Amino acid sequence: MQDVLDKPRGDAAPPAAPVAPRCRRKGVRSRWGLTGRITALSLFCLLLLFPFLWLVSQSLKDTNQYFARPFQWIPDPVRWENFTDVIFKYDFLHYIGNSLWLAVYAVVVNILSSSFVAYGFSRFRFPGRNALFMVVLATMMLPGQVMTISLYRVYRDIGWIDTFWPLLVPKLFGAAFEIFLFRQFFLSLPREIDEAARIDGCGTLRTWWHVILPQSKPVIIVVAVFTFLGSWRELFGPLIYLTGEENRTLPLGLLYFTSPFGSSLPMLMAAIVISLIPPIVLYALGQKYIDKGVAIAEIK
Amino acid sequence: MTMVLKPGRPGRPRRRWWRREGVQGYVYISPWLLGFLMFGVAPLIAAFLTSLSKANVFRTIRFVGLDNYQKILTDDPVFATIAGNMLIYVIGSTIISIGLGLALALLLHRDFRGNHVFRTLIYVPSLLVGIATAYLFKQVFQGGEVGLANMFLGVFGAGPVNWLGNSEQPWLALVALILVNVWFAGGTMLIFLAGLKGIPPAYFEAARVDGAGPWQMFRRVTLPLLSPVIVFNTIMALIGHIQVFETPLAFANNGGISTGNPLGYENSLGTFVTYLYVKGFVYQDMGYASALAFIMFAATLVLTSLVLWFARRFTAYGDSERN
Repeated sequence: MQDVLDKPRGDAAPPAAPVAPRCRRKGVRSRWGLTGRITALSLFCLLLLFPFLWLVSQSLKDTNQYFARPFQWIPDPVRWENFTDVIFKYDFLHYIGNSLWLAVYAVVVNILSSSFVAYGFSRFRFPGRNALFMVVLATMMLPGQVMTISLYRVYRDIGWIDTFWPLLVPKLFGAAFEIFLFRQFFLSLPREIDEAARIDGCGTLRTWWHVILPQSKPVIIVVAVFTFLGSWRELFGPLIYLTGEENRTLPLGLLYFTSPFGSSLPMLMAAIVISLIPPIVLYALGQKYIDKGVAIAEIK
Repeated sequence: MTMVLKPGRPGRPRRRWWRREGVQGYVYISPWLLGFLMFGVAPLIAAFLTSLSKANVFRTIRFVGLDNYQKILTDDPVFATIAGNMLIYVIGSTIISIGLGLALALLLHRDFRGNHVFRTLIYVPSLLVGIATAYLFKQVFQGGEVGLANMFLGVFGAGPVNWLGNSEQPWLALVALILVNVWFAGGTMLIFLAGLKGIPPAYFEAARVDGAGPWQMFRRVTLPLLSPVIVFNTIMALIGHIQVFETPLAFANNGGISTGNPLGYENSLGTFVTYLYVKGFVYQDMGYASALAFIMFAATLVLTSLVLWFARRFTAYGDSERN
């Protein structure tokens, strides 16, 4: 399971891999190999980027331009107002607001609850600990939809449908993958700092809050980024629980995207661009912080 | 209330019961434990009971035993189509996720200038997966000459393909659905890269000294040493692909989830989860939907254990070769 941990941290870590020893005899051959590598990667990246460039181009057109042949990569004229139209006329401001506060809530609550639970798993010996931790890991394999059906009926009976409660409450109890990440990180922190805190008269709760968490910036940022992304793109839960228009999140707004002003694919494309920007920005910010965080953690 | 102080056992500091390590450990994990019972175990049991029952419009629930399961597995042509779809989709997509992810990781597993840029470019799209990219690729695979996919084919002189709305060749929609995974191979790539970095360079060096070529190096050193990561990635990919939801829903959706057919032409875009959604939340047949969910879960377990069984043989083989 070590690999799971490596996922975000590995991506975060600066390429600290030992530089592969170069073999002098094969210098020419490896240079050709390198050229081949870079060519292959460039072609693949081009393939990856094309839909996204196409998306941006199409989002800046009007409907006629959208369908026009031959295809224009740089629209003329550029319709920036598509974006303001989507945000204001199509009510996306509202959807973005809903999605944003849900995501921020998820991040804050998930960091607190998951690190709290992970602290228990990493710093205390109690009967059944390892078995319970295996259960934590096993829950990642359970398809969430199985539970959703029964939960839906409970929420319906207590009147939570079309409220945010079904999305808010379960997050209070920690999430398996995040607990796992925190635990692995906490295990890597030396126990001596706990001991020192205890000798200084810190209770375990204060040790968690004042000693462990401040040391855990890298993993907190990783969890924050992943939780935000997860909440930002979540569709199944909101689709089922949020039935009214008032409570729609951004993914729901996209799913139900219909134009009151006639066919409007460029508007849809603009809406897609808008919903893709926060994850990209967050990743860009997060990666920088994570790189630093991991570097700092490794120096100590 | 008076506290009766019992003399502690000699040699041990006396602690109050809630200060004991074991108790405190349980206190700290209690949020998860509570959540697991309320949002995991209880709904799971309830869902199983639901799957054995049938509720009519008036919510009177009738116990029907395994009827739902029997109907799904033997007497539901839609499910038969969907099971076929899923088999093709899961196998095709897992091959793309693993094969492409591994190939990209091998290409990037060398330090060269620009490595970081490539890694980021390949990884970021996998973070964007969701309804937004689903709609993007719906437009990319749009029929006629509008879609990017057909523009691309047009460059090579191939005619426009009606990917998503083809009533004569409904399987084309499934092909498009599988192809989308090319854009999201970055996630598995990253885990493979981490796995590759975990292999001590001395092994490669030793193989090189022994005169191994690139293929032998890959076959005899990289592959066996990477096999735990491959197994892990394969299982995660399988689980993810079995639960695919947003993309097929977007591909099939023709304005209005409830009015259009969310399963595509001739159910060609139906997946386990979209079908479950339709049955449970559009038609409100919770018993049927619960049974579907358990069948999906069973399929996940079967595929996972197949991979593990395969892996045990494979890694044992790798071990014996290494020694």
